Amino acid sequence: MPREKKVEQYDVVIIGGGAAGLTAGIYCGRARLNTLLIEKALVGGLATYTNEIENYPGFPEGTTGLGLMKLFQEQAKKFDVKFKGTDVQKVHLDGEIKKVETFRNIFEAKVVIIAAGGRPRTTGAENEDIFLYDKGISFCATCDAAANTDKVVVVIGSGDAAIEEGTFLTKFASKVIVSVLHDEGIMDCNEIAKEAALRNPKMEFVWNSVVERFEGEDHLERVVLKNIKTDELIPIEADTCFEFIGYLPNTDIFKGIVDMTDRGYINVTRNMETNIQGVFACGDVTEKYLKQVATAVGDGAIAGFATEKYIAESEIFEEQILTEELSLSYIYNAIDGDSRAYLTTMEKLEDEVEAKINIVDVYKSTGIADRLGVKEYPCVVVVKDKKVVEVIKGLPSKEDIQSKL
Amino acid sequence: MKEVVLDCFGEACPVPLVKAEKAMVDLEVGDLLIVQIDHSCAMKNVPEWARGQGYNVEIEEIEDGEWEVFIEKTK
Repeated sequence: MPREKKVEQYDVVIIGGGAAGLTAGIYCGRARLNTLLIEKALVGGLATYTNEIENYPGFPEGTTGLGLMKLFQEQAKKFDVKFKGTDVQKVHLDGEIKKVETFRNIFEAKVVIIAAGGRPRTTGAENEDIFLYDKGISFCATCDAAANTDKVVVVIGSGDAAIEEGTFLTKFASKVIVSVLHDEGIMDCNEIAKEAALRNPKMEFVWNSVVERFEGEDHLERVVLKNIKTDELIPIEADTCFEFIGYLPNTDIFKGIVDMTDRGYINVTRNMETNIQGVFACGDVTEKYLKQVATAVGDGAIAGFATEKYIAESEIFEEQILTEELSLSYIYNAIDGDSRAYLTTMEKLEDEVEAKINIVDVYKSTGIADRLGVKEYPCVVVVKDKKVVEVIKGLPSKEDIQSKL
Repeated sequence: MKEVVLDCFGEACPVPLVKAEKAMVDLEVGDLLIVQIDHSCAMKNVPEWARGQGYNVEIEEIEDGEWEVFIEKTK
């Protein structure tokens, strides 16, 4: 029989404690929302795997990923964000109250922010699973560079991470052999990193190659590359193989629930909304152009801000718009002159009918109109017994409205 | 389904891990082991070991620099 799970309530549950999730947490916490952040491993996310971060503004001398993320967490804690260090097993995201399940708890929240990030992609070559992490296949130069002092290492990939981390490894290793899929001289990284790498006497390149298999007794001893044009096998004696061939989003538990791309990245609007009301996503888990700490911070800020707006709107919606007693909501766009002029008609109506009158401007947010299912403005929405009774389109006369009540 | 608390406050690596491994042997499937630690290195290697075993893991910071690692024996 499974253990009974303790149920706890929050305003917001953030899944993932990297740069995006922590920033969303700072914004939610500062907006005085009761916020929980769940991180399955160590807080800080992927940034903690990078030794030097030189392009995050505000740190002209550069900073370490770990150090920077520690500051992020301190700031979130200052705003009373709660942290749980565990894996999310299941989510129920439809309905007003969302549920996030871990092995000991069910967390209920009005909003869920998915900031689950990604994990390194692997080559899928033979024996790869046997040598992962501490057995010779690494995804983190910062973590494992020192252990490879005066040794030969292999780097797989030619993107920014591969070439920059490979260059960093030359400070420790005696030789860094880079396996590149493309023809000689072609790399996926930026030009500056490429030129530096080609000039580096400790770096060697094996062009047109992929990994065929990994070999060794208990620990990795040999990486066997294959030339994809000639099928020639190229065995290289090496202590560690560093793979930098991209990332996979951590979206398995959201499949079939949240709308995502073929590659599993979550589709979001520019306000970080997913296809589900009250569910936002930010950072590397979303489909986006540039995955960096700086952009994750931007995403997280938007998701946090949008969350605050969504919760405030929910409260207005439940308390004032979708009422038991009769209510009239005038939905309009304040930039339209005629719609603005009509406001006086609504004001007069307030004295003449036994109904609560709401004025809803869609200029900044269409949230309330969306909840009412209204797509065309201006209009007057009649609500009774918590149901939309009638949507009167356009700018109806007082008599028109009264005849519908 | 019992809960066992393992006090490892003040103990440095690898003592908490060794103790946790030992304590787990006597537990049944569904039991919960709560390892109390205050060395940050144990905060890393105890959960890593437990996840590697396929157990359910949760880390909770109870005070600044003090953690409880909840480990559920799942098999």
